[in-house]
Amino acid sequence: MRKILVTLAALSMSSAILAATPERYLHVRVDSANANERVRVNIPLSLAEKVIPAIHARQLNNGMVQIGSFQANDVDLPAILNAVKSAPDGVFVTVQKPGTDVRVAKEHGQLIVHVMDRKDDTRVDVTIPWSVAEALTSQTNAHQLNVEAALEALDRAGDVTLVTARDSHSQQTVRVWVDSHNTAD
Amino acid sequence: MLLLGKIGIGAVGTLLIGAAIVSSDGFIHIKVNEKRTNGTHLSLIVPAMIAPVAVRFVPDKDLAQASARVRQYLPVIDAAISGLRDCPDVTLVDVTDGESHVTVVKAGDSIVVDANDPQETVHVAVPLGAAQSTIDEIAAANGPI
Repeated sequence: MRKILVTLAALSMSSAILAATPERYLHVRVDSANANERVRVNIPLSLAEKVIPAIHARQLNNGMVQIGSFQANDVDLPAILNAVKSAPDGVFVTVQKPGTDVRVAKEHGQLIVHVMDRKDDTRVDVTIPWSVAEALTSQTNAHQLNVEAALEALDRAGDVTLVTARDSHSQQTVRVWVDSHNTAD
Repeated sequence: MLLLGKIGIGAVGTLLIGAAIVSSDGFIHIKVNEKRTNGTHLSLIVPAMIAPVAVRFVPDKDLAQASARVRQYLPVIDAAISGLRDCPDVTLVDVTDGESHVTVVKAGDSIVVDANDPQETVHVAVPLGAAQSTIDEIAAANGPI
């Protein structure tokens, strides 16, 4: 009888702890100073995890994004990720194209990407937990990104700023991050 | 007198039960206020269960095109509504563009859209359950899914 009561108490506590797990949100904040534009988006990751696999569009199917025609200045994303994976921490893989520098490194368990477009004076910094980067290329062929797996990995990762971008011409700043707060301010 | 009292209680009870059933799905709120002089001021509160019922009265041939479009997006819509119902209240989108401001909020069991620009303000609140039922009715207009 005592063992049963202890077991039931333990199960109840476990349920309470699981139920109390806070929701995590993907936030997007876009500010454009000279155009008086402001965008705030807060997407619960649980919602994104349900919706993404249900989308069957041209390039997004069953949680996979087809990047066969992904241009981005002719950058081969899977090849870069493989190169970074085998490189020591802190060593950047650099891709230089006319007007654009892309530097990718693995550091402190994160994938760091710096993109500098000199023509548009735009800078983009991306920081992705390495577990998320690995999930992006898990169970995929050479021309796919596994967005569904990446979202699940992101949900398990801690609070992190994923993207910061700044366009000097339009004075527009973009920030994308994940945390447990339901506002983007 | 006693008989009249019983009939009265029965009638009131029936009305209350009917009201509870009708309002069980919540209410659709629509408010439109035009800011110009003598502009339109509309305020509509409709039991949400009316929406899917009303769709049934629309001839299937008039819904055929909408039904075809909805069907291709039905898995995404179902997933989105299910996900929204399970997640906490949150401001999903908040956009300011010049003098226009639009918010989309998940509040309780409803999706609430507020738009404010120099010409008008619009407020629409739709219970997610009613939205799901209405979309299902539209999708079924072309036959069983």
